Amino acid sequence: MKNEQQKKPNFLAAILGSKRWQFITIPLFAILCSLLAISVIILLVGKNPLVAFQSLLEGSGFLPKASYSTYKGMITDFMDTLDALTPMLFAALAVAVAFKAGLFNIGVSGQMLLAGFLATVLVGYSDLPAGLAKPLVLLVGIAAGACAGGLIGILKYRFNINEVVSAIMLNYIFQYIISFFINTRLVDPVSRQSRNVSEAARLTLMNVEAGSFKMRVPICILPALLLAVALQVFLAKTKQGYELKAVGLNPLAARYAGIKVGGNMVFALTLSGALAGLAGVTYYLGYYQSIQPGTLSSLGFDSIAVSLLGNSHPIGIIFSSLLITAISRGSTYMSSTVGVRQEIASLVTGMILLFSACSGYIRWRVNKSGGFKRKRGGKQA
Amino acid sequence: MAAAQQEYIVEMKGVTKRFPGVVANDNVSIGIRKGEIFALLGENGAGKSTLMSMLFGMYEPDEGEIWVRGQKVSISSPNEAVKLDIGMVHQHFKLVQNYTVTENIALGIEPVKKLGGFLPIVDIKGTNEKVRALSHKFGLEVDPAKRIEELKVYAQQRVEILKMLYREAEILIFDEPTAVLTPQEIEFLLEIIRKLREGGKTIILITHKLEEIKQVADRCAILNRGKLVDILEVAAATTAQMANLMVGRELHTEVEKPPAQFGKPVLEVKNLTVENSDHFEVVKNVSFTVRGGEIFAIAGVSGNGQVEVADAIAGLVHCQQGSILLNGQDITGWNVRRRCLAGISYIPEDRHKVGLILDFTLAENLAIKKYFAPPFSKGTMLQRDVFDEYAGELIEKYDIRSGGGPDGTVRAMSGGNQQKAIVAREIELQSDLMIFVQPTRGLDIGAIAGIHERIIEERNKGKAILLISLELDEVLNCADTIGAMYNGKMLKIANAGSITANEVGEYMMGVKRS
Repeated sequence: MKNEQQKKPNFLAAILGSKRWQFITIPLFAILCSLLAISVIILLVGKNPLVAFQSLLEGSGFLPKASYSTYKGMITDFMDTLDALTPMLFAALAVAVAFKAGLFNIGVSGQMLLAGFLATVLVGYSDLPAGLAKPLVLLVGIAAGACAGGLIGILKYRFNINEVVSAIMLNYIFQYIISFFINTRLVDPVSRQSRNVSEAARLTLMNVEAGSFKMRVPICILPALLLAVALQVFLAKTKQGYELKAVGLNPLAARYAGIKVGGNMVFALTLSGALAGLAGVTYYLGYYQSIQPGTLSSLGFDSIAVSLLGNSHPIGIIFSSLLITAISRGSTYMSSTVGVRQEIASLVTGMILLFSACSGYIRWRVNKSGGFKRKRGGKQA
Repeated sequence: MAAAQQEYIVEMKGVTKRFPGVVANDNVSIGIRKGEIFALLGENGAGKSTLMSMLFGMYEPDEGEIWVRGQKVSISSPNEAVKLDIGMVHQHFKLVQNYTVTENIALGIEPVKKLGGFLPIVDIKGTNEKVRALSHKFGLEVDPAKRIEELKVYAQQRVEILKMLYREAEILIFDEPTAVLTPQEIEFLLEIIRKLREGGKTIILITHKLEEIKQVADRCAILNRGKLVDILEVAAATTAQMANLMVGRELHTEVEKPPAQFGKPVLEVKNLTVENSDHFEVVKNVSFTVRGGEIFAIAGVSGNGQVEVADAIAGLVHCQQGSILLNGQDITGWNVRRRCLAGISYIPEDRHKVGLILDFTLAENLAIKKYFAPPFSKGTMLQRDVFDEYAGELIEKYDIRSGGGPDGTVRAMSGGNQQKAIVAREIELQSDLMIFVQPTRGLDIGAIAGIHERIIEERNKGKAILLISLELDEVLNCADTIGAMYNGKMLKIANAGSITANEVGEYMMGVKRS
């Protein structure tokens, strides 16, 4: 009887059990579970889940739609998705870097806003030519984000202020101060947002003609992908990366080994802030052209979950941010064609993140039923 | 048949448990009688804890049967074990730090009374009384109203024992209960264990300390590499006999030690005073000198400032007053890395919290004091192949057993092998000064002898060695010079030959003043 009971987990364990492949099999399993769960919900509202998922992919440019208007095609949808992916990728990498050092940068949104605002004010409204304005925007973004992140690090190192608390407080401070300046100085009377930045300063090229299409070209997507790879090399192969991970995993042991714990924490948060700054400029001066006063971008918070889904691994994050971005991009099309409300897409995202947050539990279950040794207890003496 | 089953309260028949790459228990059969103290003896990794973890429902056996009170049972979780009146005190306590003793004991089975006839509340006062009564009955004095974080280690252990008794456990498993205790505390604990037996409990004691078994146990099962070697009546066996069975070979308990040849002073500590985070002086005006080729051992009961002395020398805590000289150079203001490079190795007391990064691989841990310089890194890039090569060398040389080899995480290794990894790493630094705090803690006799040999080998090479140990035997076996610390003060420094064990013990207790 006992054997019968164990048969099912063992079957799953056979697929998921290989520790070598768990880094990919477990997230995939989590995604599969969430798609199943969401299918049930879509069925309950009386629609066909397969059609809904298909329309999600069509809307985000992974599958061809039934018809396109002039200058539009699958490629333009796909480029839109890439445009939205760029800031998400930067932001999720920002979260991951801090996380590797054992820190939780919940202030990505605030750092993005600060970087976007400063770049808008300093460069966005100037008459500089594109060749000068675009690099300047990037530089201002990196510097602003790094300062904001570094400040959190110094507060933690010098005054032992928890980074979560100071990051949340800074989020509010940035949000309200910047909102004040936008509303009093920079507001566009029609849109109630800040005035649009110049095309020269914008990091997304608009209406680029290629063949019969007119599309957006996010110029930072390639650098973002390269940065993810570079970050992985940094973490796995460099001295600084080794120190950063050591501090994250066990600060006491790191200190004992002569690694500067405080310095590494400040460094990690500065780097994290710089990445958040890049997310900010590609978001406010790329994907969008203006800043809406009084709000923080939800992207900055979603990036935390995206980073978790990618297991805080830079390469994993490329895929997780692509997945989440594609779903949110495709949702508008899904609601208009299938008649499934747009909120369902948020539900899909939410479900995936919920299940991926459970991946630790799934891993534990699998390893337990597979007869692997548990972390604690037994076999010590 | 029926009579035999009546006699045994617990029986494990042909139990086998495999983990990837290792057979932890190989066809082990033991029977435990009601009301006896049954000891499980074996080296690190012999499979004692695994065997008892199966009885306590943390693992399920791959083969074999478990019978409790004459009934075949399948124990798939600790909860089911508790239902069978089995309790276990783990090596690492499982207590909620900021709850009181009573709250911890009642956790999960809180007695509820109705306030004003309808409002359910937890009856802590009544439980306090019950706990107090229980602790009197078995000589387990603790204050039920105190919070766990206020208690010393031995008292926390008593809480764990009370937790089992409160749940009316009849079969009590102790996993290495004395590993964390000082000599007097061990005496108390053994007394408690005897009282528990008088109270009709059945006790299973996992240990690798022969003296304890000799003192309290009725019978003793000896495991070696997962196999049951023998079950002995303790009264009829000698410790030497047990030791040989346990290790599976003849043992040299005495380490060969050629006469010391002292060189020039390597470490000079002058008027060192250290405060802890509450600004309480934990080291008071301590001075001593360690020369090359000398093993200077500091004896003392846990918590009398010895560890703080070591931390201060390594640069982990701030010196309030005094100075520290290494090879004649004042290093008092230097940081940890600089001191390490100048020639200080340090085996810290707590291997999990301080000595290792458990989620790093073995290779990464072994290189943690060398990664920043060639050949371990070139420029800013780490040389991973050098890491692995170096780890391979040390694994070979120090007999470190890691299931995953150099790339396995240290977390997956047994405690003894983790300790070996630290010892290997620190000795390989070949520093002029080596500080060893409790280097053999939690190790079995074979491994202890190995580490003592290493220490003496380094001393013969002319290294200065500062050995800090709670085990008086270790101090007496290895030391050339003995310093006794009590209450933050160095009460006595003497040549090892000129002082007796009893005298050292008296200084350690602060009885004798010079």
